[in-house]
Amino acid sequence: MSTPPTQASAADASPFDGGARWPLTLLAGSALVWLVVGSLLALLTGIQLHTPSFLADCSAFTHGRAQALRETAFLYGWAGNAGVGLGLWILGRLGGHPLRALNWAVVGTVFWNLALLGGMVGIATGSMTGFAGLQLPRAVQPVLVAAFCAMALPGVLAWAGRKREGTYAAQWYAAAALFLLPWFWTATQAVLLWSPLRGVVQTIAASWHAQSVVALWLMPLALAAAYYVIPKQTGKLLPGYESAPLAFWTLIVVGGWSFGRHLIGGPVPAWIPTMAVVAQCLLLFHFLVIWLNFRGVLAGGSVTLQYMRFGLVAYVLTGLAETIASFRGVAVHTQFTLFGPALETLLLQGALSMFLFGGLVHQLPRVTGRDWALPSFVSGHSSLVMLGVVVSVLSLGWAGFAQDALLNHSQTPFAEILAQLKMPLLLHTAGQFALLAGNVLLLVAFLRSALSCCQAEGASVLRPASSAS
Amino acid sequence: MKNRPLFLFGLFLAVLTSWAGFVLGSHGQLGALTPFFDEADGQSHPARLPGLAARGQLVYADLGCAACHTQQVRRPGYGNDQARGWGERQSVARDYLFHAQPQLGASRLGPDLMNLASRKPQAPSAEDLHRLLYTGSAAHPAFPFLYETREIAGEASRHAVRLSGAAAPKAGSEVVATERAQTLVAYLLNVNSGFEYPEARPLPAKSAASPEAKK
Repeated sequence: MSTPPTQASAADASPFDGGARWPLTLLAGSALVWLVVGSLLALLTGIQLHTPSFLADCSAFTHGRAQALRETAFLYGWAGNAGVGLGLWILGRLGGHPLRALNWAVVGTVFWNLALLGGMVGIATGSMTGFAGLQLPRAVQPVLVAAFCAMALPGVLAWAGRKREGTYAAQWYAAAALFLLPWFWTATQAVLLWSPLRGVVQTIAASWHAQSVVALWLMPLALAAAYYVIPKQTGKLLPGYESAPLAFWTLIVVGGWSFGRHLIGGPVPAWIPTMAVVAQCLLLFHFLVIWLNFRGVLAGGSVTLQYMRFGLVAYVLTGLAETIASFRGVAVHTQFTLFGPALETLLLQGALSMFLFGGLVHQLPRVTGRDWALPSFVSGHSSLVMLGVVVSVLSLGWAGFAQDALLNHSQTPFAEILAQLKMPLLLHTAGQFALLAGNVLLLVAFLRSALSCCQAEGASVLRPASSAS
Repeated sequence: MKNRPLFLFGLFLAVLTSWAGFVLGSHGQLGALTPFFDEADGQSHPARLPGLAARGQLVYADLGCAACHTQQVRRPGYGNDQARGWGERQSVARDYLFHAQPQLGASRLGPDLMNLASRKPQAPSAEDLHRLLYTGSAAHPAFPFLYETREIAGEASRHAVRLSGAAAPKAGSEVVATERAQTLVAYLLNVNSGFEYPEARPLPAKSAASPEAKK
């Protein structure tokens, strides 16, 4: 494609995007605000890893709470808002009608973000639930599910009322994500909050949920964006597209099974970690097909394609590394060390975020009808976040391997372990700083674009006669 | 993919299978666990957490202590949990029977906190834990917001933390553990997996294999 990376080609404009402009911009904007908040918290927790006393005397930002805040802002704030915005847009465009019931999406988005804000305040002031991946206080969780249903409604209508008989992979992933989150989140709330199961079964349910949030909700939304955007940007059909249903159904059926890799050796039935090995091996088919489908991005090109390329490589690498780490012989070294956060960063910041960035950078000019106001900020963002993710993942991985030797094979006291990990942990902080700087650039670029679009629209409202004539 | 109801039904079924298999399946396996009555000492194990400790678990959860500490000992021979003195045997589901919200944890930036009260060679006392929580250490953040510095009015409080050096309050004042700190420490000293349940014994794999080996 010869079009500059951040420009919408006129041929690609869709008559349906105009009506969805403000709801989709609202979703993208809230996502980017949460992204910056999450990056700030990630920087804070990164500093606390090597300097435990940092902000420790402030009860709202003690390490345990700051970690929960960071995770919540990233998953439910950034990835949730951005993914839903992209999902709705894709379902609308491929469905062949303008999106309907968008006022529901706006109300849903407002309530989703208000509830999330309330939840963050709740975590900071001591109402966190204590389930990893689901720390949001119990009072806001039903509100979030209800708000999500409202947000997802236009997408579901677009899916149900679509014009064409055939469907695309992007639609399957987006529709599945919108349909599945309310279903499994309600099920989790029932067994954890309203009628709690006993003992370690709670831990199993919470880990299952944390895995499903990524594998059945956020990753499908990100993959939907990739399936939609990549062929548009490369201008070529996806190679091996006929295998896409295999990748889809593998992820949907076994994606939630592999949480047991975090429970190896724990007080849970032994078949749970074993099923994780099975699931990870089956998921290799998913990663293989995704690699085959998206391999066109390896040639690079526009900024969007660079995000997608980074995301693809990170996604497949995480898949391979997690499969290896799910075996007990490997887990005995990696478990409970910083190797876990390293893989999590690779998956969430490296794969998930990059696919979403690619989607957003492609989507916004088409939705607002004008190009990115500050294209240099966007390319600055891409360089900074890619650098940040690489530095962060490598330094955490380094710390993880060093920690294994000290923690699992010697009697080194914990203060000594921390002292020896100082170097990689400082590097990790540097990586998080690059991520924060990059994300601030993207937010500024977004605000500038939205503002100029707003001004233009205001101007046309003031001159209705001239635009009508 | 052309058949709409079938697609949605497939999605529903896929997640239903996963949820029923893992969550309901493990509930079916572990949900009916009961305490183990030991005829030798006439008591059932595990014991309920004392009231103070049960409330302390809420403090542990809301401060997010599980971000750095685990509460699970792995079996002998898998990792070096025994060598570090964290417990003689692996933790089993029955140990958590009376935990309102088990805090297994997934990261060991700090030590495991199972069996803290029976640590070898020397177990920390409540006093030690209060000092660590108030002042922190090179590897542990301080939680001064769990303590209250106030002037001594009459007799010194029995919950005053004995401090020396730079951390000591000025003369006439004392640092007193708030209720949250007291419950948290009571909880930390009551999380244990001391009793040998039948399922916690290691499989007699070696003795079963030995007749084969002798042949």
